[in-house]
Formats: sequence, C-alpha cells, structure tokens
Amino acid sequence: MGNSQIPMRQSLPIETPPNPTQQRMDSANLLENKAVIVTGGSRGIGRSIVLTLAAQGADVTFLYCSNEAAANETLAAAAELSGTVKAGGTVKAKRVDVRNAESCEQAIDEIAEEAGKIDILVNSAGIIRDNILGLLTNDDIQEVLATNVVGVFNVLRPVIPYMVSKRRGKIINISSVAGEKGGRGQTNYAASKGAINALTKALAVELAPRNILVNCVAPGVIETEMTEAIRQQAGDVVKSRILLGRFGQPEDVANVVLFFASSLSDYVTGQVLHVDGGFKMS
Amino acid sequence: MTQSDFTAEEIAAVFPKLAETMAEALGCDEEEITLTASLIDDLDAESIDFLDIVFRLEKTFKVKIPRGKILEDSRGPLSESEFEQNGVVTSAGLTQLKAYLSEVPAERFKTPLNVADIPRLFTPETFLKLVIKAQREQAGAAQ
Repeated sequence: MGNSQIPMRQSLPIETPPNPTQQRMDSANLLENKAVIVTGGSRGIGRSIVLTLAAQGADVTFLYCSNEAAANETLAAAAELSGTVKAGGTVKAKRVDVRNAESCEQAIDEIAEEAGKIDILVNSAGIIRDNILGLLTNDDIQEVLATNVVGVFNVLRPVIPYMVSKRRGKIINISSVAGEKGGRGQTNYAASKGAINALTKALAVELAPRNILVNCVAPGVIETEMTEAIRQQAGDVVKSRILLGRFGQPEDVANVVLFFASSLSDYVTGQVLHVDGGFKMS
Repeated sequence: MTQSDFTAEEIAAVFPKLAETMAEALGCDEEEITLTASLIDDLDAESIDFLDIVFRLEKTFKVKIPRGKILEDSRGPLSESEFEQNGVVTSAGLTQLKAYLSEVPAERFKTPLNVADIPRLFTPETFLKLVIKAQREQAGAAQ
C-alpha cells in the first residue's frame, strides 16, 4: 500500500474540538443559582473564595467574626467584580462568631430562610497562634481548637439538615499542609488542621448516602496576613522547600475550592487536596 | 419514660404531624410511619437522617431538641460507665434502655448490644416522646 492512497496526516484539515471543561470555565456560570456560605470570608483565602465563587454565579453569604472593615473590603471587591464578570452572583456578609453554636444556628437559619436552601458550605474560618510547645499558653491551645475545630462543627450541624432535605450538597473544609507535615511551633494549629482532615473523611462516609460530598483543601504557605510572620521569619528557608519555588496566592486555593464546589467534582468525596506547590512532598 | 407516661390526647395531637414530617424526611409514604417501625431496618433511614428528622421536628413543632438528647435520655440516671463499657451496653444499661424504649419489641434488643447499634432500635415513637417531652418542658418554662 503506497502513501499515495493514504491522505497525509498533515494534509487533513486541522480542527481543534472545543474543550468542554474550558468552555464551562469561560462561561462563568459554574455555580449559577447556588446558595453558598463561606466562613471566615472577610480576609485572605476566605475572601478570595468568596470572590471566585461569586464570579461563577454563586450567591454567597460570608461569615466574619469581628473585622467589619475587612468585611466591607470584601463587599466592595465583590461589587467591583460584579461589573466585570458576566454572571456574578450576589455577595452578603454576616457577623457571626463560629465559636458560638447558638449564633451559628441562628445565622444559618436566617441565611437558609432567605435563600430557600444551602447548596455549598466552605469552612474557611481559622486562626493561628504559633509557638513552641513549652511557650504555648492554655489559651493559645483552646482558642485555636475552638475556632478551627469546634467552629467547624458549629456551622456544619445546622447546615447539614438543609442539604439532607434536598438530597444534595457540597462541603469544602479548608485545612492546611500543617495537618500532615510537621512544622515547628505549630502543634496547636497542626492538631486542629489534622482534625479537619480526619473530620472530612468521616463526614464524607456519613453523608454520601444523601449525595452530600465532603472534601478538604489543604493550603501550603499562601501569601496572606495570617502567614506574614512565617514568611518574614523563615521565608527563604520555607520557599526553598516548596517544589514550585514560590508562595501560593489565595486564588490558587480558591480555584481548587471552585472545583470541589462545582459539578466538575461530582464523583469526588472524602479527599484532602494539597494546594502547596509541592511543599508537603519535599 | 414509657408510653404510659403520655396521654392519648398528647399522642393523638403529635403523631399525625410527626408522621407527615418523618415521611418527608425519609422520602416514604406517610402510611409507612407507624409508631413501632424500625427507622433503620424498616424505613431505610441512614444515621444522618436522624439529624434531619430532629431538625424538621424542631421546625414543625417549634420546640428545641438538643443534639444527642435521645442517647442522653436513654441512659436515664446511669453514668456513662454504668451504661456502657468499651462500646457495649452493660446489663444495667440494657435494663435502662429497655425501660426507656418501652415501645420497642423485646426481640429487637440483641445481646451483646453495641452502643453504635442503639439507633437501630429507634422508632417514630422514640421521636414522638422527644417532641412531647420538649413541648412539656417548653410549656413549663413559659409558666
């Protein structure tokens, strides 16, 4: 069989098929009509998550503990964003201390009543009180666990019934690379984030029969206020251990949260995905 | 707390709405909700449905049912260590549990009984008791 009988490959008309995933991302409506709650949404990673999900059409209510100025900055950024994306959803703020179970319950009920549902919950509220074990105060330990672990329970419990009743939902917890990779001066924080990784897996088992997916995003060192001290004290050493050679940006985390929040991850549950530039592997 | 602790009027006032609420939560027919049906074995409830059921009952009857209330109540006056040892209900615990869940047929209590299997015993009547008790407490608090 000679080549003359077979059309040369190069001679075929080149037509690149559309990439369905890319098409969906471009359409900026991955989360159209989704009611979303983001805890700790006034600053840092939480703010980026709020803006990223809203840009995809989600109606987001974020909870914040006390920093009203920061919450207003998030609202202002959301207002600015709504003029630049095609399908931006609404963004609202609610002041709630996640350490208070009753306040959480009341706030969640109010949000659900207004929206008629809760489709997605992102547990992003967290604090850090780093110190070596010998210098940690009892308050350092209690406060970190109260916000980072008990706070997650306080929000989860009133949210889950709304998802169970609809037989669907997505829960995304934000933990940390510290939950798996040892780090000096982070025993309290590491314990809290390891707990969230474990909670994610156990809850995924409990909620799977009702089509509620639970996943976790574990950021590495992200350029936020929270990591400023670490970056200043040991920035070069830490960076040298990050395979990609740079600190992450809040958007790096928010984009993965978007994946878990959207239908792109409808067959994924109980996972902890590290967004750390390879830090955990080094 | 046994069924005899409740009046027929109390049960009649609560059960129809309770059955409707539970049927909605479990996605089954209202007729399937009988007082003695096992929620897990007969009505295919998942453990997470208990959270949903309590949530819905709170909304329907406008009462507050603290989370974990059933297990706490089922222990009665016994301490945790008197009620269970290494995840297995003790003999004293079983006697207390049978008294608390008096509506559950005796043959459903398997021995040894793991604490994790207690929810398999729950019936709509278990929740009916919770609602009536919460209503009474609420009425008492309002006086």
